[in-house]
This record gives sequence, C-alpha cells and structure tokens, in this order.
Amino acid sequence: MVRFKNRYVLCEVVAEEPRGRHCIEDRAVATAVRDAIARAYGDYGLACCSMSFTVKYLNAYTGTVLLRCRKDFHRLLCSALPLVRQLESRGLRCPCFLSTLHVGGTIRSCQKFLIQHNRRQLLTLLQNCTNEEERQRIRQSVLSCSLTEGQSQSGDEEEEDDTETD
Amino acid sequence: LLILRYISNEFLTGFCLALFPLVYWTKQSYDVFGFFFLVGYSAVALNHVVDFKEKKQEIAKPVSPSELFPSLPIVQGTSKQLKVLTRLTLVVSDPSHCNLLRSTSSNIRLYDIIAVFPKTEKLFHIACTTLDVDLVCINVTEKLPFYFRRPPVNMAIDRGIYFELLYTPAIKDSTMRRYTISNAISLMQICKGKNIVLSSAAERPLELRGPYDVANLGLLFGLSESEAKAAVSTNCRATILHGETRKSACGVVYTVKKLRKVEEEETLPACKKAKTQA
Repeated sequence: MVRFKNRYVLCEVVAEEPRGRHCIEDRAVATAVRDAIARAYGDYGLACCSMSFTVKYLNAYTGTVLLRCRKDFHRLLCSALPLVRQLESRGLRCPCFLSTLHVGGTIRSCQKFLIQHNRRQLLTLLQNCTNEEERQRIRQSVLSCSLTEGQSQSGDEEEEDDTETD
Repeated sequence: LLILRYISNEFLTGFCLALFPLVYWTKQSYDVFGFFFLVGYSAVALNHVVDFKEKKQEIAKPVSPSELFPSLPIVQGTSKQLKVLTRLTLVVSDPSHCNLLRSTSSNIRLYDIIAVFPKTEKLFHIACTTLDVDLVCINVTEKLPFYFRRPPVNMAIDRGIYFELLYTPAIKDSTMRRYTISNAISLMQICKGKNIVLSSAAERPLELRGPYDVANLGLLFGLSESEAKAAVSTNCRATILHGETRKSACGVVYTVKKLRKVEEEETLPACKKAKTQA
C-alpha cells in the first residue's frame, strides 16, 4: 500500500517568564525549528525535514506544540529539537526550550497521551491549590477529561492558565 | 575560592538525571530546581568542582541538601520526592593531586559520587585503572590533547567507571558543538557506546533539556538509540550505586566449596574392607 507515513512529535514550550507565552505562534515555532535543523544538519537536513513539516496544533496557554514530519527523517528532527533556544515573533524574542513529550504515528495517539499528561499536571496543580473554588474547578476538569468529549481541551486550558499565574 | 556546583540528576524509567552547575548558590538556583522537576527528572546531585591548579584548597564538607531545600518537590507521575545527592569533581592536571583520593580521613568520604577530570593522558590512564572514582569527565570545550587508547578504556569499563559527556556547550555555541561532537565520536569509537553518561552543565534554567531530548542528543554524539536512552537512565543509576558501594563496602567475604574428595576416600576403604571381610 502506498501511503506517506508521518511522525507527530508532541513538545512543550518551557519558558522562564510567563509573558513569553504571547510569542508562541505557529510561524514562530516553525522558523525556530527550521533554524535549529539548519544549524545542526545544514542544507541537507533542512531539505529532508521540510518535506512534510508543519505545526499541526498549538496551544499558547499550556505551551503544547504538535509537529509533523516524514517518518524517515524524524530522527533528524528529534535530535535537532534540543538546539532551539528562542522563539521570535513580531519583534518579540522569548528565550525558551522545547521539551519532547511524545512521538507518535497518528494525531490520535498524541492526543491520548496529551490528555493523560494534562490530567497528571492538573493533579500536581491540585496539590498546590490554596483556594477552595479553584480546587473544585480542577476536580471537575480532571473528571471531565476524556477522548470522546470535545470540551475537554478547553477545560484544561483554563485551569492551567489560572493556577500558573500565582 | 571559586566553587562551582554542578547538580546532576538521575534518569530511571521515566525519571531523569542531569548535571547542573551553580555559581554561588543564588536565588536563581531554586528556579532551576523547579525546572528540573517540571521537565521530569527524579534525582539531582549537587556538585562541587575543585580545581587543583589554583592555590591549595581544602575540600569542604558537602552541604546537606536539607539545608538548601526545606521542601523538595515531588517527581511527576509518582509520589516520591526529588532525590538530592552530593557530588565532587576534581580537576587534576598533576599526579600529585590524586593523593587526596587515597587518603581515608578527608571529607571525600561524605560525597555520594566522585568524579575526576583528567587533563593529560597519563592521568586519564591512572584514573581509569587505579583511582577510586565513579565518573571520568571528558573535556568537550576544547580539542582533546590526547587520543583515547583501548586498554585503559576497557579497564575502566570492567571496573564499572562511567565516562561523562556534557551537552550544554553543544546547545550554546557552534564551535563548542564541533568539539563536543568530535570528542564524543572519538570516545565512541573506542568504547563502542558503553558506559556513557550524558549530563548538562547548565548555568541557567533555559539551558536545561528534558530526558527524552538528551537521549536524542546522544544520537548526534554517535550513540545508538538504546545506548542513548541508557546513557540518560540506567547508566546514571549505576553510577549512583557504584558510589554507594564505594562508600559502604569495607571488605569482601567469599566462600569456597568444601572438596568432596575426602568423602570418596573414606568410602573406598570401607568397600574394600567389606569385600575382604565377606
């Protein structure tokens, strides 16, 4: 069967300052990753990885990024990801790094992993909660995370944003 | 008296080990610790670097982790706390500096992991064959003054000593990256990827990388995928265990199986006796 096989790499953008979150845009992330590949592997690497390279999903609140590349060249991409040092967009420079969470063959597998990951993050946030109201909201979000519900992602975002600002 | 502290973390099946230096433990250090825990590491070691080229220095007692961190963050995914260990790195450029390691009374005994950073070929040979250390650091920031040879490297592998490579210079600077990769590949050719530990020397939290990413960087250094993952996980744990045995082992007791010949000799005369009697 002739089918183009892809690999989806799920990463998290980790930045020191919370205001850096505004720089996270799909074009900024794509240029940053391309630069890193060019620095590490040169023209050959850049050409190989750009064959099917896009940023499929981006969540600025949690800093989650989903990248796609060809299966044969995902090693090049994965080994060049640690070399990303900053994101630039609209003149703003935000020093950060990308941390790989999961590499999967389909978007669905990455989504399943992301849901589990977010659930774990919410549980750790629950421990640091001081307000009873926040606690209730987090508990609700944890209970409502599942693959079938369409609202789950947006519920997680709100909680992450809320408690990370303290 | 410049004391740089490296923190090393440990990776073990979902948990990680990384190395981190601090200059004059500052408030920033607490942030970095937060990052370690965020990215998924499980154990951290505080490292003191002692350079013998400067005036004679005393090796201070290791700072107890509980003094610095009143409450340790909990590792992601489990309910255990982040483990904090202590580590000492000796930068040696002269054989007389190694005498400190042989003395039994100094504060060296109190550190969990001991690493040595040899600057010459002779010292590298001594470190691999006779010195009582857990890690041998390989220089990544400049061209190696000596080539690796097989005999000392094989002896080190047999003894359970690990070679340490830093990866943060590779992230920061392009020329450092070239030196790092060339030194790492020359080491791989001799040791075939065994006994390697990858660690970071990040001074700021942004120079840290997650465990999965560090294993991917290992691919750049010439390791195979399983070796790279081991370099971040099982090898680090083995180093810590090596350090523990070094601290606690005093002697070896071994038993010898009693020879069975004695019993046979006894039976023979009995048989002979029976025959003659019968």
